[in-house]
Amino acid sequence: MATPTPQERERPTVVTRTARPGERARALVQSRAFLLLAIAVVFAVLVVAAQLRGVSAERLLSLAAWGVMLGGIIGLGSIGLTLVYGVLKFPNFSHGALVTLGAYFTFAFLAWLPQGEPLTPLSFGWEFPVALLVAMPLVGLVAMAVDRVVYRRLRRQNAHLVLFAMASLAMAFFLRSLIYIAWGPDFHFYYPGRPNPALTLPFNIRVRADQLFILALALVMMLGVYLLLERTRIGKAMRATADNPELAQVRGINTERVIAWTWLLGGALAAAGGTMYGLSSQLRPEMGFWLLLPMFAATIMGGIGNPYGALAGALIIGVAHQVSTAFMNPTYGPAVAFVLMVIVLLVRPQGLFGRSGG
Amino acid sequence: MPLLEAEGVTAGYGDSEILHDVHLRVDEGEIVALIGPNGAGKSTLMKAVFGLVTPRHGSIRFRDKEIAGHTPYNIVKEGLCYVPQVANVFTQLTAEENLDMGGYLLDESVLPERKERVYALFPKLRERRHQRVGKMSGGERQMVAIGSALMLDPALLLLDEPSAGLSPKLVDEIFANIEQINATGLAILMVEQNARKALAMATRGYVLASGQNRVDGPGQALLDDPEVGRLYLGG
Repeated sequence: MATPTPQERERPTVVTRTARPGERARALVQSRAFLLLAIAVVFAVLVVAAQLRGVSAERLLSLAAWGVMLGGIIGLGSIGLTLVYGVLKFPNFSHGALVTLGAYFTFAFLAWLPQGEPLTPLSFGWEFPVALLVAMPLVGLVAMAVDRVVYRRLRRQNAHLVLFAMASLAMAFFLRSLIYIAWGPDFHFYYPGRPNPALTLPFNIRVRADQLFILALALVMMLGVYLLLERTRIGKAMRATADNPELAQVRGINTERVIAWTWLLGGALAAAGGTMYGLSSQLRPEMGFWLLLPMFAATIMGGIGNPYGALAGALIIGVAHQVSTAFMNPTYGPAVAFVLMVIVLLVRPQGLFGRSGG
Repeated sequence: MPLLEAEGVTAGYGDSEILHDVHLRVDEGEIVALIGPNGAGKSTLMKAVFGLVTPRHGSIRFRDKEIAGHTPYNIVKEGLCYVPQVANVFTQLTAEENLDMGGYLLDESVLPERKERVYALFPKLRERRHQRVGKMSGGERQMVAIGSALMLDPALLLLDEPSAGLSPKLVDEIFANIEQINATGLAILMVEQNARKALAMATRGYVLASGQNRVDGPGQALLDDPEVGRLYLGG
């Protein structure tokens, strides 16, 4: 049995001791408002830097709209990461590989399905959502199988959490190698050479129809996750198990089953995120690995274990990442996520929506 | 036939052995108090009954069925529920969601009626049912914890220090609630620091010290026993 999670125990309600100025300043710096301010400053710096480089307001708005879409992709990945952390308390470094696997599974099914007419203005036909819907549960099953073979064994032995993290890193390399073997190191496109011209929206925002589809799909899935966690029995059991696994067992919840569902859900969402990432750019065996940093940054920013927080964090990081490309080489994009993550860790390690006091 | 019978239970964590050859019995409808100094192994015995600690030797039978070494989520199906001493509520969930989790094994259609019964016992919870339990006071949390354990309508309720951390007034309230629950026919096994109060309302009591049985008998008899008074009730 794992050691019981630290719970908020009774705290004395009356605190008569007056805080010293140093403590008060520290409390102020660690507040949610201060963290939001710090994030706002990062955005202000990005916008000012873009202005100095002569980037138009329309271009910035378009980039921000792209960023929201990228945030949707990161968010879909982060939800699985944060749910698994919530229930099992270890950072799953192989989550990026599940993202990649999802993208390639969709790619594989597309090759089997007959190609329909593109659903203009989208670049793809009906076969694309079908392939995605097949890939999602399959990646979920892969995640479940990995848990069954690797992590469950470690759970049974009451292994140290560091061992779980190391095992997940090993699984990341293992899964990536499988992808190399199956599909090779080259780039792939879902629809090579097919045009997807940008549409012009109000305020002269230019986005491609595919990007709007990505955003809509991400929103629908997040609504689904919300309903699952808040309204269904298994969703509540997931939150309960994340909160206090020992008590969950005592209340009659089969926590192993809850863990299996958590992997299924996390893997399926990762697959959706990967497929959308592949649609917005191209498929590479490292694509998920590069998303790992922004996903972790979003998870930490939102308060690790909190799916809604991860979503908020993902949107902030997605927009910051895209806006930075207005004046920086896009290869440095992950640095923005990294800077934001470091700010969160320095100012308020429990994140935007984490419990205060750690 | 006793409801719960533990015999020769030896258990511990890692290399340390905490319980040595302990026995305990709870009959239908009884309140049994488990008292003794800190570190006597009272909570460990509760955990052993509930499968959170696996006994190394001995047997634990509930209604004549061996439950020693079973998983907690299987033990709870037999008709006994447990309120741990600490971390006994889901702080991130609302009071109502906590009760839903208490009734996780039930068919969804029975949940409203069971929740009504808990709210009848603890009217305060009805008002605050949509509140997150992490924001509630210690007394309210204890109500949520006991209420969740009552959702399955168990035959035996295990309470580990229900009065811990509560103000004297709330302690009396919780004890009154426990008697009320017992009056409906539910047997109760409770660990208590508040030994005098616990023995006063208990049918029988067990004194545990250093992981071994010391004395047991009717609650009143233990209260009157000068030796028990001197050693375990603080004179």
